[in-house]
Amino acid sequence: MKKEPSKKYRLIRTLRILSQAAFLGLFVYLLLVSHYTGEDYIKKPVDAFFHFDPLIALATLVAGRAFFAELWLAAATLFLTVLLGRVVCGWACPLGSIHQAFSFIFKKAKLLNPKREETASTGWKYLVLAAVVSGAVFTLNLAGFLDPMSFLVRSFTTAVLPAKAVVFSAVVRLLYGIHLPSLAQPLSQFLENLAVNAVFVQGFAIGILFIGAVLLNLWKERFWCRYLCPAGALLGLAARWNVLKLRIDQDACIKCGLCTQHCQTQAEPYPNPKWRSSECVYCATCAAICPTAAIGFPGSAKPESIKTIDVRKRRFVLASLVGLAAVPLFRITPARKRAHLKLIRPPGALPENQFLATCVKCGECMKACPTNGLQPTLAEAGPEGIWTPMLVPKIGYCEYYCSLCTQVCPTDAIRKLTIEDKTKVKIGTAWINKSRCIPYVLGRPCIVCEEHCPTSPKAIKLVMVQTQLPDGTVATQKAPVIDLDLCIGCGICENKCPVVDDPAIFVTSIGEQRSETNRLLLPVVGDEGEK
Amino acid sequence: MKRRDILKEIALGGLALKFGPELLGGMRPPLPAQDKTGPDLAAVTGESPAAITRAAVEALGGMKAFVGRGDKVILKPNIGWDRTPEMAACTNPEVVATLAALALEAGAKDVVVMDNTTNQAKRCYVRSGIAEAAKQAGAKVLFTDDYRLKKTALGGAWLKEWEVFADFLETDKIINVPIAKVHSLSRLSMGMKNWLGAIGGARNQLHQKLDEAMVDLAAFFKPTLTVLDAYRILVANGPQGGRLSDTKLVKTVVAGRDPVAVDAMGATFFEIQPRELLYLRIAQERGLGTHELEKLTVEKRTV
Repeated sequence: MKKEPSKKYRLIRTLRILSQAAFLGLFVYLLLVSHYTGEDYIKKPVDAFFHFDPLIALATLVAGRAFFAELWLAAATLFLTVLLGRVVCGWACPLGSIHQAFSFIFKKAKLLNPKREETASTGWKYLVLAAVVSGAVFTLNLAGFLDPMSFLVRSFTTAVLPAKAVVFSAVVRLLYGIHLPSLAQPLSQFLENLAVNAVFVQGFAIGILFIGAVLLNLWKERFWCRYLCPAGALLGLAARWNVLKLRIDQDACIKCGLCTQHCQTQAEPYPNPKWRSSECVYCATCAAICPTAAIGFPGSAKPESIKTIDVRKRRFVLASLVGLAAVPLFRITPARKRAHLKLIRPPGALPENQFLATCVKCGECMKACPTNGLQPTLAEAGPEGIWTPMLVPKIGYCEYYCSLCTQVCPTDAIRKLTIEDKTKVKIGTAWINKSRCIPYVLGRPCIVCEEHCPTSPKAIKLVMVQTQLPDGTVATQKAPVIDLDLCIGCGICENKCPVVDDPAIFVTSIGEQRSETNRLLLPVVGDEGEK
Repeated sequence: MKRRDILKEIALGGLALKFGPELLGGMRPPLPAQDKTGPDLAAVTGESPAAITRAAVEALGGMKAFVGRGDKVILKPNIGWDRTPEMAACTNPEVVATLAALALEAGAKDVVVMDNTTNQAKRCYVRSGIAEAAKQAGAKVLFTDDYRLKKTALGGAWLKEWEVFADFLETDKIINVPIAKVHSLSRLSMGMKNWLGAIGGARNQLHQKLDEAMVDLAAFFKPTLTVLDAYRILVANGPQGGRLSDTKLVKTVVAGRDPVAVDAMGATFFEIQPRELLYLRIAQERGLGTHELEKLTVEKRTV
């Protein structure tokens, strides 16, 4: 009996690829518009991908003990998965699509040669999930490290897009260099409008991790999706009914094993009874490549007979214990005892412990920040806080009339603020290093910090100061002093200070209004009267 | 060609490169006081920023006296801060738009509006209202582009060279459109302070000798016309204000060919004698213009 591959499933495969491309495109688009486009409030649903991600929802609910309005979108994803299986992984997840695209390329280049039968356990990701959930019970939010949306947005924001920006500005320079201003100018204006932040202290490290995740596809197809992804694991647990069920026409099947060899996510389509509905992402690869069109996905209202996921109970318990053990381990850090001076959180950030429990380290805020000042932390917030946002005024300051970071935060770890409310939030306090400040130590005029101070009245006042110069003469200059009641810690003074290497005016976190402990002056009864 | 000739040419080329911009600067129309047709200054007061701007330019002989057919014109407003027009931190958008329209009416080929801002450029361009207004008037609104910065010999007394945006070097005419504000160092920030937005580099170091820097820059840029927006001036918390109470309505526009005289007139709105301002005294000594208002013909009008 001679048969052709199935036209229908080849078409479905094409549709799936189009769908993946569309969702990836939408993802990149929403990321690119997460910045100041000319309006104070971002109206596009730039954090939508997070809201459809049930792992983010679970982590926020359990670790953050918090609800957010869009939680029902994650429920919709779960419902869809209960009904249809992990279609979201196969058809929509942008990180899955990137892994799949690279797997495809690696296969074509013969760099990846899938085994006819894969024996590695797909159970690891369930263990990752178990660790995340058990940690979350004790408010340790580990979801951000490996959640696909967090991983992708963080990698794109701090590494992929900045690298592209560097390339594009090199192109602009080249075009100007070869005297083509008519091409260079529009490109340069376009880039200025796109406002991609191109400077990240950990861009290199996060970029290497992203490349590493992509290169894992050299080893196993969609390595991330098969073995690591805790969100995929959560959906795998939810995949139960799977209305569309894989069926092999035993008469047509020639037992070539291609379907199992090329199954993207190791769901083992052949032999039929081994098919694991919890791993299948309905990519339709098996049905499309079957040389005799023996594979189909007919609908069946009967719930799938449950194939246990590839995890032994003991391992599951062990992983949960690992998650629990991680809790104290992550908290052996002075960060919880005393606030780090450099840990200037974005305006609207929750009090530190709540913030750590809610933030998923995605970096959306860093993408939206107009000055590039929001940067991923390394050690400042302890191990729990790795890659959470902090303001580094030397790189960029907090723009006075801007609340974009608060608007794009998918889990409300940074509370949404109106522009007006934001201008009143104190995120730190400025200090003057009088042994470096130009008027104080050199007796020359400057006032740059005062000029830039955005509050009215200004938090930086000028007083006349006498400085003895090396030649014995005395210079009198206007020099800055800080009014602590007015300073909001925005850091523009530090950013613009002409003493560039180590600014003579600098912001530290003390006095931040979200903290009850990192504070400076208590209001003293009678203060008012004394004045 | 002989070796010596080649060497000579190289030397000449080097000189031309070194002093080129100055030579070019010299080729711009000479400083205005000479070809005087109307009054030295026009100060027009009225309710509408557009109408007073129009009247002030008319009083000086109309835009055709400054802009020729086919000219490339740059309008240099102050768009330095992320502030709305009512905060009086940036030039009034109607004043800018009116000048753009007048320049185009006078036959300008291109009117470009740009400024090197202090806050994020796009925010300043949008919130100041200048981008929108100038675009509607037909101007090209461009962000300054760091790749267009050219190390340029300024020939100043203090500033020998600095990075200048090439747009200002390549244009035919420059019209300076500052706003009048208080400033902690130069006391006032008006036309001559406005040139800090036409340059790049470490501008924050110019403060160490700000008055000299302002004069050197003003001498280099030599605007064809200066139109000072004093519709709403900033009298406190300069140079960016932040509250309505930091501003004062003067509802006046001052226009003139002499950049020193325009700033001198502007000083009077703050009840400051022009000679109290160091940079105006230096500018006059340098022959850039005069701050002695009593020696000038000033046409004052209300529309």
